[in-house]
Amino acid sequence: MRALEPWVEAPLQTFLTESSARLILLMTTSGQVVAQHGFSRSFEVMTAAALGSAIVASTEELARIMGASRFGAVVHGGSQQSCMLSAFGTPRGRWIGLVVFGSETSIGLVQLFFDRLVEELVGAAPREQPARAPLAENFEHELNASLKELFGR
Amino acid sequence: MSLVNFTAREITCKIVYYGPGRSGKTTNLQYVYGRVPEARRGRMVSLATQTDRTLFFDFLPLELGNISGFSTKFQLYTVPGQSYYNATRKLVLQGADGVVFVADSQARRFDDNIESLQNLQDNLLAQGVDIRQLPVVFQYNKQDLPRDLILTQDEMDDALNFRAVQSFSADALHGTGVFETLKGVSELVLKKLAAGSQVA
Repeated sequence: MRALEPWVEAPLQTFLTESSARLILLMTTSGQVVAQHGFSRSFEVMTAAALGSAIVASTEELARIMGASRFGAVVHGGSQQSCMLSAFGTPRGRWIGLVVFGSETSIGLVQLFFDRLVEELVGAAPREQPARAPLAENFEHELNASLKELFGR
Repeated sequence: MSLVNFTAREITCKIVYYGPGRSGKTTNLQYVYGRVPEARRGRMVSLATQTDRTLFFDFLPLELGNISGFSTKFQLYTVPGQSYYNATRKLVLQGADGVVFVADSQARRFDDNIESLQNLQDNLLAQGVDIRQLPVVFQYNKQDLPRDLILTQDEMDDALNFRAVQSFSADALHGTGVFETLKGVSELVLKKLAAGSQVA
């Protein structure tokens, strides 16, 4: 499991144990990864977050056009595994959960424990925002070296 | 908005390629995808129509490497350029840390460039973002076309680049200016992050 901030890990672990979900990804509404469990490659996580946040954003926009305040969770059912997407508010801003689950559990259980997860996250979130400038003033030569290596020029 | 993971020492930034339809936004990402080592990039996702016009967005995750002790990742997005896709453009623009405005240098696309830039300003403003506070660079694409069909970089600057931000002449199809543009916006985004104003 990887999480942006340590306080997310315990509620997430509880959710995974209770729901028997296979994968979970928490992200911001702009598609930035907050925490994940089960994905093997970081690039896959970023892609899943980009697509998941896009689905939720377009669904919420559809709801707005149709005059609904918001739709609930979005569920995509598959033969081997299914996924659920749901947005929720936290003291850290609006987040989205993407949960992948198989036949060992059910959408009802996943939804039930996901609602509990949201409550726990909201309760556990520190109210103060972390605000630390992380980069050294002379980061630019490292950036240039990285870009040169990346682009081969 | 950039996310910084102090535990894993990771930085993730979102860069959006904006501009009118057929200006070369997707071509930029395709060129980067084709040239960057496989270990440093993820799969390029394109949500496109059957005729390969961008419907929702293109997405390319990139691993920049270690900067100031932080593993730095960039998420590159494009928006659909056609005017009737504004709803999806707004969604993709959410939380952008930097924007590359890809303009079409052809003289006949002059009005399309202006309209798209105005649309970018409007959509940012609707999200409470002042374009003057956001790292933005311009790329004037298709500069390889015959001189009588295009505007020069100086002419494009006069038309679009009121704030005199960095601009790059490009031929995205063959790669000219593509990495220079990405480098330019990367520097601006990380400089802003270094100033400490975007840490989430």
